[in-house]
Amino acid sequence: MGWEEKQVRGFPEFVQTAQRYHGRPIFALFCGDKDAEGRSWCPDCVTAEPVVRKELHNMPEESVFIYCLVGDRAYWKDPNNEFRKNLKLTGVPTLLKYGTPQKLVEEECFKAELVRMLFTED
Amino acid sequence: QEAAKYGKKVMVLDFVTPTPLGNSWGLGGTCVNVGCIPKKLMHQAALLGQALQDSRKFGWEFTEEVKHNWMTMTESVQNYIGSLNWGYRVALREKKVTYENAYGEFVGPHTVKATNKRGVEKLYTAERFLIATGERPRYLGIPGDKEYCISSDDLFSLPYCPGKTLVVGASYVALECAGFLAGLGLDVTVTVRSILLRGFDQDMASKIGEYMEEHGINFIREFVPIKVEQIEEGTPGRLKVTAKSTKGNQIIEGEYNTVLLAIGRDACTRNIGLDKVGVMINEKTGKIPVNDEEQTNVPYIYAVGDILQDKLELTPVAIQAGRLLVRRLYAGAAIKCDYVNVPTTVFTPLEYGACGYSEEAAVEKFGEENIEVYHSYFWPLEWTVPSRDNNKCYAKIICNIQDNERVIGFHVLGPNAGEVTQGFAAAIKCGMTKEQLSSTIGIHPVCAEV
Repeated sequence: MGWEEKQVRGFPEFVQTAQRYHGRPIFALFCGDKDAEGRSWCPDCVTAEPVVRKELHNMPEESVFIYCLVGDRAYWKDPNNEFRKNLKLTGVPTLLKYGTPQKLVEEECFKAELVRMLFTED
Repeated sequence: QEAAKYGKKVMVLDFVTPTPLGNSWGLGGTCVNVGCIPKKLMHQAALLGQALQDSRKFGWEFTEEVKHNWMTMTESVQNYIGSLNWGYRVALREKKVTYENAYGEFVGPHTVKATNKRGVEKLYTAERFLIATGERPRYLGIPGDKEYCISSDDLFSLPYCPGKTLVVGASYVALECAGFLAGLGLDVTVTVRSILLRGFDQDMASKIGEYMEEHGINFIREFVPIKVEQIEEGTPGRLKVTAKSTKGNQIIEGEYNTVLLAIGRDACTRNIGLDKVGVMINEKTGKIPVNDEEQTNVPYIYAVGDILQDKLELTPVAIQAGRLLVRRLYAGAAIKCDYVNVPTTVFTPLEYGACGYSEEAAVEKFGEENIEVYHSYFWPLEWTVPSRDNNKCYAKIICNIQDNERVIGFHVLGPNAGEVTQGFAAAIKCGMTKEQLSSTIGIHPVCAEV
């Protein structure tokens, strides 16, 4: 297949994982935490996840896809949370190409075409 | 994007031919990538340097020496530009505009060939075409120019600090770049063939030049470079420039780390197959003449932007012309682009904003006896405490006596000139007279109240 997925939760784990794969194309999808039944508190994330997963095969060879749960709703709403402060995330879901200004936010993640563009662009 | 809004099937072909030094960039054109955006950001970087100096007089105390890191600035600027490039990609895709990063050229009626960077060619046909290929910097045509000199196309992403720089030219590009490079602490020299800011009000141009000279920028006037040689390779290297006087046989030499050419821009119209479809261009300048509806001599081919003959080379003008054109074609609108009274700003260290006629143009059009010029020097309040110049900021308006003293020219030299000028441009468009201006109460204490 040529790419691999890593699932992480919280900012420190995300950073550690991204650093470990430095040098390879890294894409990350940030979503709200899931409950015991596997449903996220973030309805847009629920919509976006299957769309993104369907396009993963378009990522370049050797890519790493990091699926990152950011935390519960209260944590996310805090304007000083680490994701907002350090990665400049403004909303969930966010799909981004790590280390570049390329990202898709919220409803943009619902569009297969845009997701595919993010994965295949130079 | 406008055409797609009206349900048309649209394709954009954008391709950047790399500079002689191999530099290229993303979607967005000159303004976004190698023009207005990075220019204003770097101008701001220089202004912040000045602000740090001023701040001590306002009570800020810091013991560390303040230095500037070129790489940090350039990385931030390029990052921002990258987000704009990406934003345009997303916007086009969302509006269902097909985008190809390929070089477009006409090969026959209603047909273009698109060649991508790997050399793969595709043919496309369309009902109508819009050419907006813009311009690229001109080179001097002297030995060493392409090998050793850089242009504005390279400056904003230069991966090393340019060091001691020679700027060739006295266009606004040259002066703006010289201005911010000096503001960042670099040793800058400008070599001018004849006058500064050709086409702009010369009274204002000489004030701008004077200010720059008094603030550490060297000017070598009435000389043109005839040779550039490399003394030492490096990032930056060392270059030797030989220049000849325009008024005699005097030759001078100088050593610089970087030579930045800013002597003009040439339209990208020579290699896009216009001859194959019969589009007329001005052979001498490469510009395309169009009627007042931006149509070329070939009815289904239109053009906007810097490549137009006798039109202002400004991003907002091109954007407006493009949007209005599409609305006329597909939305039944009748409004044409108004090229008169377009405001501009030159972001030299002392900023210059203008709208309407220069003093010379007004005199030529209306006669000296029919115009009245009101002017004033002013001292921005923010400059008083740090003891900055008290006699450099300047504003003047030119009025047409025969038409109720209507304001036909507005010129201001001072901080935030762009912000000041925008409002006055709207007033001029409404036909403001001197009396109306005088009876408008000023905001205090701001420069614009003058």
